[in-house]
Amino acid sequence: MGKQPTDKKNWGRSYGEMVWKEFAKSKLSIASLVFIVFLFFLAIFAPFLANDKPFMIKINGQWNYPLFRSLTASDYAVFLAAAFAVFQLLLIRRNKKYIEPSIRGQVLGRQVFVNSLIVVIGTVLFFVMVPRRLDATDYKEMIVSGSAEGAVFAPIPYGYGRTDLKIREQPPSREHWLGTDDVGSDVLCRLIHGSRISLSVGFVAVGLSVLIGVFVGAVLGYFGGKVDFVGMRIVEIFMAIPPLLLMITVVAFFGRGLFLIMMVIGLITWTSNARFVRAEFFKLRQQDFVQSAVSLGLPLRSILFRHMLPNGIAPVLVNATFGIAGAIFYEAALSFLGFGVAPPTPSWGQILSLGVSTSGRFLWWLTLFPGLAIFLTALAYNLVGEGLRDAVDPRLRKAA
Amino acid sequence: MSENNTLLSIEDLSVHFFTEDGLAKAVEHVSFSIPKGKTFALVGESGCGKSVTALSTLQLIPDPPGKIISGKIIMDGQDLLELSKKQMRSVRGNDIAMIFQEPMTSLNPVFTVGDQIIEAIRLHQKKSPEEAHKLAVEMLSSVGIGDAEKRVYEYPHQMSGGMRQRVMIAMAISCRPQLLIADEPTTALDVTIQAQILDLLDELQQKNNMSILLITHDLGIVAERADEIAVMYASQIVEQGDAKSIFGEPMHPYTKGLLKSVPRLGFEEERLDTVQGNVPNPLHFPSGCKFHPRCPIGCNDEKCKNDEPSLKEVKDGRLAACWYAPGY
Repeated sequence: MGKQPTDKKNWGRSYGEMVWKEFAKSKLSIASLVFIVFLFFLAIFAPFLANDKPFMIKINGQWNYPLFRSLTASDYAVFLAAAFAVFQLLLIRRNKKYIEPSIRGQVLGRQVFVNSLIVVIGTVLFFVMVPRRLDATDYKEMIVSGSAEGAVFAPIPYGYGRTDLKIREQPPSREHWLGTDDVGSDVLCRLIHGSRISLSVGFVAVGLSVLIGVFVGAVLGYFGGKVDFVGMRIVEIFMAIPPLLLMITVVAFFGRGLFLIMMVIGLITWTSNARFVRAEFFKLRQQDFVQSAVSLGLPLRSILFRHMLPNGIAPVLVNATFGIAGAIFYEAALSFLGFGVAPPTPSWGQILSLGVSTSGRFLWWLTLFPGLAIFLTALAYNLVGEGLRDAVDPRLRKAA
Repeated sequence: MSENNTLLSIEDLSVHFFTEDGLAKAVEHVSFSIPKGKTFALVGESGCGKSVTALSTLQLIPDPPGKIISGKIIMDGQDLLELSKKQMRSVRGNDIAMIFQEPMTSLNPVFTVGDQIIEAIRLHQKKSPEEAHKLAVEMLSSVGIGDAEKRVYEYPHQMSGGMRQRVMIAMAISCRPQLLIADEPTTALDVTIQAQILDLLDELQQKNNMSILLITHDLGIVAERADEIAVMYASQIVEQGDAKSIFGEPMHPYTKGLLKSVPRLGFEEERLDTVQGNVPNPLHFPSGCKFHPRCPIGCNDEKCKNDEPSLKEVKDGRLAACWYAPGY
């Protein structure tokens, strides 16, 4: 689109811009958002922040780069996804300047589709191409023994899987800022790497739950009648399943796995989203603007998801942010019970569960710090959800 | 009226609602036809089935509980009720468009008015976004919105009721439909704005040569604008004819009652006449002529209580359903 930026002045503020402006009015919401972005930053760059392998080291007069060599396929996939997320955000800024408001939605949809396609293909390629390297060399030992020199370590020079029974269960100190756990791993390092697990559980599980919930709820609420009757019975069947017990059963049958946990949480918690959307759609169905959209001959897809959904999404958004916190809790609970991700992969719940050691001692640093991480993350998500709800609801917005 | 002058004809339409309390016959055996380029008014009290008739034309009846039991809705020789959902969708907006009663809620609050008009335009016409945008601005100024260049980017909440109704009209006529259904288009507006909107509809009708199906309970509106009038009572048409003769010489006691309940200039009246009683519950219609409990003639007449009169031609171009209508 070769539009001049000077046209921009004539364009009114779009829905997204209005929501953002309203959202940004609350300092608390912004602070929470900043905190979440910070968490994402930690999670994305975890291998560079906490790693027992140096960025660079001189062994026998030769420069080596063990940290970069030890990056796994999933690390690369995370970097790629993060890069494209930032790229997409920049594109949105650009769209605002150069693209007419009426077609921005379409353009955005196309950009998101292309970008996610690239990320998915890239991830698959990484998993095929990047070999798994096991590097158990103790580089610190090499420095001490004098066989290597000039090492540049990460700020927290410990690996999340590195164990050292000589320093187990140590309280916070200058060397280990948040102490060590029962096998002598650094807690701060495990917290940073654990944020990846917790954040991805929250996002994938809730993403799945919102997708299913919105689709089912929209169909039930719009069509009503027999469709709604049968659909609601299915929803009730799903609601009757106790999530934690099902998760434990699934883990018992298929083994521990992060992916499995995310899927199960998503497949169980969609019911509340479906009910919210259904209730909203029942209300919206009667509204004149929906009737007039139908009377203009708009296709069902546009009526459901373009005209009705933005007017009925507010409760789902709030519920989703609560859901992210809930999913993090579920994962923590499962890990606490020993059904979560298998060690040495760290997760916040798992660290928390070590708070009471086998010897019966209460190790406060193993409870406080992961507990604080879970608490703050859940709080931040909830505050963002609240802010978003207030911003999204046009009824609360004052007429200009 | 010759056949090829008819745009849309409804034949023997019956719509029933299967509610939890029982069967509600909302529309029964209604037939009429709308001539090309003319305004046809459907008049009646709330709940008499006039809106349901209009909604049936576009098949917008909520199903369940509503269902079109019988009848034909013929446009260009094609029965709309036989069309597939996809074909029906291209009729909506393209051939028949509708504007609703409540301008405050009939625009989507989350999109600019421009977006909504552009979506309607691009749906039915192959136009680039730029062309559609230009057309949307044109439409807005053609419905009398000043500064349309800027207004096109505004959200519905930034506009007044009358302006929103103008936007609704712009949206409805953006695809140049042959028939515009206006369901109580002015009920929610101020009296001064009412006249403006009706004048606008008149003007657009002449310019685009479209037909209007005007649904209202306000006889004052109908008198000046309609070419033909059908009066509905309790899900049936009780009287039909051209506007002048109905006002000059009403035949059905219900029409007479309605006309008497409109204030007239130059007459000092202590109290305005009303039609006694209420609209009957569609779940339990009275026997015989449905109007007889409220009718000054029928309330004491055995024939009215037991036998239902059907709509018949009583005079040239005049139809009525009353045992005591002159010429019945």
